[in-house]
Amino acid sequence: MQEDNFKPLLMGYLDSELTELESIRVEQHLEQCAECARELEEFRRLKEVTRNMRVATPDARSWDEYWSHVYNRLERRVGWVLVSIGAILILSYGVYSLIAKFLLRSDFPLIVRFGAVAIVVGFCTLLISVLRERLFMSRIDKYERIKR
Amino acid sequence: MNLADEGSLIERCKNGDREAFASIVNHYMRPAYYVALGYVGSPEDALDLSQDAFVNAFRHIKRFDSSRKFFPWFYSILKNLCMNHLTRERRRHESSIDEMAEEGSVPIPVEAINPEQSAVRRDLEVKVGMALRRLRAKDREIIILQHFQDYSYQEIADLLGIPIGTVMSRLYGARRALRRELEKLGVT
Repeated sequence: MQEDNFKPLLMGYLDSELTELESIRVEQHLEQCAECARELEEFRRLKEVTRNMRVATPDARSWDEYWSHVYNRLERRVGWVLVSIGAILILSYGVYSLIAKFLLRSDFPLIVRFGAVAIVVGFCTLLISVLRERLFMSRIDKYERIKR
Repeated sequence: MNLADEGSLIERCKNGDREAFASIVNHYMRPAYYVALGYVGSPEDALDLSQDAFVNAFRHIKRFDSSRKFFPWFYSILKNLCMNHLTRERRRHESSIDEMAEEGSVPIPVEAINPEQSAVRRDLEVKVGMALRRLRAKDREIIILQHFQDYSYQEIADLLGIPIGTVMSRLYGARRALRRELEKLGVT
């Protein structure tokens, strides 16, 4: 077996994850290869240094409440969708009222009406752009380009 | 949880059954947290991002093929969120190099299983945490799962959707990197 192909097996040997046959093959190789034997010893030392250590783990309460946090976030998203729909309906009604009661009245100066139209058109353009982007993004799989 | 049990839970999730999803979440929340910790380094962010990933997974569950294992698919969602988080963090720190340098030296919290310990041992834990912080996210991930949390090779292979041979070769590279970083910090 090539030396480089063999080295990862040292991990399995160190962690007792190999079959009996694989372990025998590793031991035979170690008898002949000083470099692998030295490296295995270094890995053993590393394991000894970090023995009885673990990365910070959330306390029991955090695990107990984990699902409820996920659930709350799921619910919150539904809430946000409903709020958005409501806001769009009310906003649409506001725009309609603005046009009917303000822009169509000739007693306001033309420049004020022009400014108001620009604001309304600009706002609607931004809103449509954001909605279109959201719609487009929801149709594609955001994770398909992620390589494991 | 075997593949058939998981598949039937996923099918229920596709019909909007949140109790079924709760079973999935409770089964995978720990590895999800450790994977996220490997990427972002902060326990609080890891908890937060892993929960967000479950929310995203539920939203997109209809696209998931229930004949396959859940975690490797979920892993890609989680990884994506972690990478976005790291990109945002990097952008946030671009204006403050000093702050970034300072944050870069914050070690991953490593704690003793036995709380009774000496100052020397505590110092060693900090150094191990610093060395972990300096590893590539991918190396950190596998080191945390196997070296610090004792997941078996088979469990890691199932979680990450990779063969056991790849687990061994990734672990080999990651342990070498960890050893190098510890040597730089004077731990031999």
